[in-house]
Amino acid sequence: MNITVKTNDSMAVISLEGRLDTVSSPDLEAVLEKMPENVNSIEFDFARLDYVSSAGLRVLLSTQKKFKQVGGHMSIANICPTVQEVFDITGFTDILSIA
Amino acid sequence: MKRRWIIAASTTALYVALIAVIWVTGTEQAHEKTEAQLDYAILDFRDTVGGAIDTMLDYVAKTAIRRLGKAQPRSLEEMSELAKALDIDEINVVDRTGHIIASNDPTCPGVDMAKKAETLPFLALTNGVTPSVSQPFRKHAYATARRKYLGVAFLGGDGFVQVGLDERHLSKMLPSILGCIFDEWLLGKTGFFLCADLATDRLISNPSRHRDEASTLAETGFNAEAAKAYEIQTHRDVGRTFRQRLFGEVCYCRNFVFGGHRFIPALPQREYYDTRMVFVTVFGVVLFIVLTAFGFFVDRIFLDSDRLKAFYAAEEERRAKDLLLAKTIQNAALPGATPESQYFQLAAAMIAAKEVGGDFYDYFPLGPTHYAFLIADVSGKGITAALYMMTAKAVLKDSFLDLRDPAAALTRLNEELCKNNPASMFLTAWAGMLNLETGTVTFANAGHNPPVFLPAPGSGDDIKFLNAKSGPAIAFMENVSYVPRTITLAPGDSLFLYTDGVTEAMDQKNVLFGEERLADTLREIRSSRMTKPSSAINVARAAVAAFSEGTPQADDITILSIKYLAPPRVVTRSFPCVREAIADATAYLDETLAAAGCPAAVHTKLDIILDEITSNIVNHSGASGFEIDVAFVDNPSAVRLTFTDDGAPYNPLAHIDPDITLSAEERPIGGLGILMVKRMSDAVEYSRVRSRNVLTILKKYPASGEQT
Repeated sequence: MNITVKTNDSMAVISLEGRLDTVSSPDLEAVLEKMPENVNSIEFDFARLDYVSSAGLRVLLSTQKKFKQVGGHMSIANICPTVQEVFDITGFTDILSIA
Repeated sequence: MKRRWIIAASTTALYVALIAVIWVTGTEQAHEKTEAQLDYAILDFRDTVGGAIDTMLDYVAKTAIRRLGKAQPRSLEEMSELAKALDIDEINVVDRTGHIIASNDPTCPGVDMAKKAETLPFLALTNGVTPSVSQPFRKHAYATARRKYLGVAFLGGDGFVQVGLDERHLSKMLPSILGCIFDEWLLGKTGFFLCADLATDRLISNPSRHRDEASTLAETGFNAEAAKAYEIQTHRDVGRTFRQRLFGEVCYCRNFVFGGHRFIPALPQREYYDTRMVFVTVFGVVLFIVLTAFGFFVDRIFLDSDRLKAFYAAEEERRAKDLLLAKTIQNAALPGATPESQYFQLAAAMIAAKEVGGDFYDYFPLGPTHYAFLIADVSGKGITAALYMMTAKAVLKDSFLDLRDPAAALTRLNEELCKNNPASMFLTAWAGMLNLETGTVTFANAGHNPPVFLPAPGSGDDIKFLNAKSGPAIAFMENVSYVPRTITLAPGDSLFLYTDGVTEAMDQKNVLFGEERLADTLREIRSSRMTKPSSAINVARAAVAAFSEGTPQADDITILSIKYLAPPRVVTRSFPCVREAIADATAYLDETLAAAGCPAAVHTKLDIILDEITSNIVNHSGASGFEIDVAFVDNPSAVRLTFTDDGAPYNPLAHIDPDITLSAEERPIGGLGILMVKRMSDAVEYSRVRSRNVLTILKKYPASGEQT
């Protein structure tokens, strides 16, 4: 999986390409750990993401919780049908803010 | 017992009804006889009395002729005197031209009798032949009472004397005219004639047996007031009957008045009505005897019919038991659940007729490489056919398992059944054997309906009957060698086996379903891609049922269909139980799916499934390693993933699905992986086999045209 991060002040856009699964989600976790302190808003661009497994969901859920605690915001854009289906099955459609 | 009462009651009712009919008939007869007697009495009276009066007037007229000598004018006084002497009301002397020349009535002389219709008949007296002419009492314009005329000719017809008598005048004369004729007048056997003077009510006649009982009509018990309505005057009428008590007994009477007298012909009621009583009594006794005998007879018939019914009921029960037994045997003989194989699909159905037809089918594996399937139809019906079927089926299966060749198996079956066949039964059979790897079917036919080859939908071929020359039916003749033949099934091709219950199903016009209709049905099945054996059988059954709707099913309808699938391709790889293995497993799956041309949508989902399961195994199972099978099944139209690990027993399906409606904050992490596996696959199965967890996932390819 390729992870591209673009930061602009307190706003970060993270583009994911490939698969967000057991193998790749530790990578995403590492990237998020390294986020500058002032970033309080993240937008995930899933346009080139093939699918998300439960390991990926775990990262997304914990990131969302973390940002909410500090009054920040996390959103996801450009999800493909497979990811949409995963979100639907797991009820994530309702708890994530999806653009 | 209840029925006996019914018989007794209906016999009694019949008896009462018949007695009533006899009574009514008897009454009617008695009535008719009484009426006839009374009518006759009056007519007889008319004749007798009329005759007596004629005789008297004849005598009077002749006396006048004697006195007058010849027809010549006389004075009124002379004539009046003569009338008085003769005690008559009118006397005329008429000359031969019909002119009255002398009369006691001053208006009469000179009257021409030829000019009046009522007097014209008297002119017959002038012809010299007719001695006398009489006319009945009748009303005349010039007289107050009804008057009767009688004329007697002078010798040689030289004029005549006509005397006239008023009816009221009769009252004086009647006693002497009638004399005592009424006394012994017979009316029936016991009837009598009463005659009384109207003025004095005195009886001038009285039956001799009651002579001392009454001297007047009133004393006889006669009620003049009640009889008034029935009184008749004229002799033309015979009057109406009424009942009165006379001399103490009820009589049927008439009442008429004539010549100043009242005449009562009376017939005692008992004369005929007693007869009726006797008639009814005698008939009643006879009828009673006859009906009692009849009752016993009917009872007897019912008893016999009861016995017959009981006999037939027992017979019917026995037949029903036989039918049930035959059905039980037949059903017990059919193989159990249809086999599950990666190489083929098979389904069979038998709709037994009311009376078992002896159809059967069978299927069983012949080692790991071949599969046997067969269909047969035993001649005859019922328990005999069912038992014969049992034997045939057992021998055929044994032979097939032993010889592993359908033709040889049928040959041996024929030998066995020919050895001892007292009932001269036989059967038709078709036996086949599928080579699982190659799809080749080796088969032999013993007089059975040719199965139909049903090529895979979409392939260019048409369906065809396997019409290759068949051997004779089994147990027909000895020393038969059945010839094996082959047909090779490509993946998706089917064979459709059936018995004559299908092709010989009849509609209401006795038209057979036939091979043509079967072929059409199968073409339809093929074009609608319903060739999965269970579907094909259902469609064919429905077609036969629709065709033969409204007619009873005469024979068993039996169908077996087998569809060859491509042999599954299975790729297996083992992995150590380490985190790095997950990436390797994913790569292995991608590679395998890509090589097999698996649809992208299926591919992605299988990737997710694999990721979830392998990460579970690596992170939680404590296994030393795991193995993944990838199999392409059903032609291929599905992928089956099998994960095997030697870790702690763990059934992911036993977990309750997480609550996905909770908010992000409430969400526990975990459990979602198994939920996704379940939702994204078509079937998940877990089993623990030889200390290993085996999890099988089936994912079907989307149906053509469907977007996933």
